[in-house]
Amino acid sequence: MQEMFAYRCDKCGKLHHPRYAVCQNPDCDGRSFTEEPLSGHCKLLTWTRVFNLPEGYMKAWLNFGIVQFDNGVTATGQIGFDERPEIGMDLVSTVGVVKEGVGKDYYGFIFQKP
Amino acid sequence: MREVGIVGVGHTKFGKSEVSFLEMLTQAALEAMDDAGAKTGKNNVIDQVFVASMGAGMLNRISGSASALVDTLNIRPAMAECIENGPASGASAIKLGYMAIASGMCDCVLVVGGEMMRVVSGWEATDFVATMLHPTGEYPYGLTLPSFAGLFTRLRFEKYGETSEDLARISVKNHANAMHNPCAHIQRKVKLERISDPRYVDATSPMVADPLRQFDMCPVSDGAAAVLLVAKDKQEELGFGHKTFARIAGIASATDTHYVADRADPTELLAVRTAAEKAYKMAGMGPEDIDCAELHDAFLILELAESEECGLFPKGEAHLAVRRGETEIGGKIPINTSGGLKAKGHPLGATGVSQVVELVRQVRGEAEGRQVEGAKTGLAVNFGGFGNNVVATIITTK
Repeated sequence: MQEMFAYRCDKCGKLHHPRYAVCQNPDCDGRSFTEEPLSGHCKLLTWTRVFNLPEGYMKAWLNFGIVQFDNGVTATGQIGFDERPEIGMDLVSTVGVVKEGVGKDYYGFIFQKP
Repeated sequence: MREVGIVGVGHTKFGKSEVSFLEMLTQAALEAMDDAGAKTGKNNVIDQVFVASMGAGMLNRISGSASALVDTLNIRPAMAECIENGPASGASAIKLGYMAIASGMCDCVLVVGGEMMRVVSGWEATDFVATMLHPTGEYPYGLTLPSFAGLFTRLRFEKYGETSEDLARISVKNHANAMHNPCAHIQRKVKLERISDPRYVDATSPMVADPLRQFDMCPVSDGAAAVLLVAKDKQEELGFGHKTFARIAGIASATDTHYVADRADPTELLAVRTAAEKAYKMAGMGPEDIDCAELHDAFLILELAESEECGLFPKGEAHLAVRRGETEIGGKIPINTSGGLKAKGHPLGATGVSQVVELVRQVRGEAEGRQVEGAKTGLAVNFGGFGNNVVATIITTK
């Protein structure tokens, strides 16, 4: 099963997503991180429905959003339902194929209604 | 530090190029050199050539185009390098030209920006541009630049009360300005009701990245633009004494998070603000000194946001200024007199150079049909990624 992670700085504890080489806390210079599962409840900060998808998508359109998880981490992903979302709505994160590649599928966040 | 200015400009017609990438660069370069009176062969005085392009290697299968350009122009042994900084490549190359002269390493630098994007399909072009997004957190999801513009627009609409009709007003203005720019990709007048009235809008301006429609974003264009930079203390000696010295009073760049979701306030364009503040400081000027601006309106919401981040209007009020006509030619602060990326076109690597070409024409008083009366100082903002690498430039004859 695929899983998405946040990365906790071993020096100051700041959570990151995605992975960085150096901790993004301006007062920290940590370079080692511990993975923590990033999943569950989140709130939708903004969304769009895109009709001109890039190469490799056999769909007329897709919904995308930026969410904030309960631990404060923000992330971008696909929205897995067709209805028009609303800013501030509650969602849960799931993990699925976000792009079918040649010989390799890409997994990532697909946000769903609870 | 030495004073650096522009004495020659060149600009191809943006749109669909009938010539190769290298020929396009050559046309713009020769026009800029002829404008300045720069000679070739044994009389060449150009020390350095910078060629700006985001994707010539990917789209046109050409690398080392700066070396090729120097050769075909017969200005060997001038130094030659290619510069890539996404859609901000052009202004980055001007910045490097400025640095090369200001440092004393060079006296005269030719900067040429170009892109040839219409050799691929629309979805391939969209995918190519999207390669500048975060390689694990954004690009693999199918996100594109229009996607981020859609996400950003929805947030701004919610926060500041801007509307789709405000964007349509900017579209009308920029298309009207482009009617007077012979180099513009799209020279077609647009009526507000045709691109905003719910009865027509789905047919005339289909949705691309909700709430953004086709007329809210730039076309895919081919084109090239060039500027010839010279040190003020060498202008006479190098044979450019007869030309107006359009001084680069300020030029600066700044970066922001690559992963857009990581921004503390995703409605802010921190790199635009920082780059503009640095450029103002370098110039010893402020927003009140700007007579006209070329802002990176790849998506029209960016014209509003950038004008605020540059201090031309208070936060959240740029759309009100648009409603009052303050950004039109003849208004308080005309924006995108060239037609902007929206109508002039957006050949990525050319755009930053093209914006500066327009400012030079404005401060020289040569922007026929679209001249801002008395323009002496202009500001350009060239926006890379979704605002993660931005260059601001101030050109003046003061």
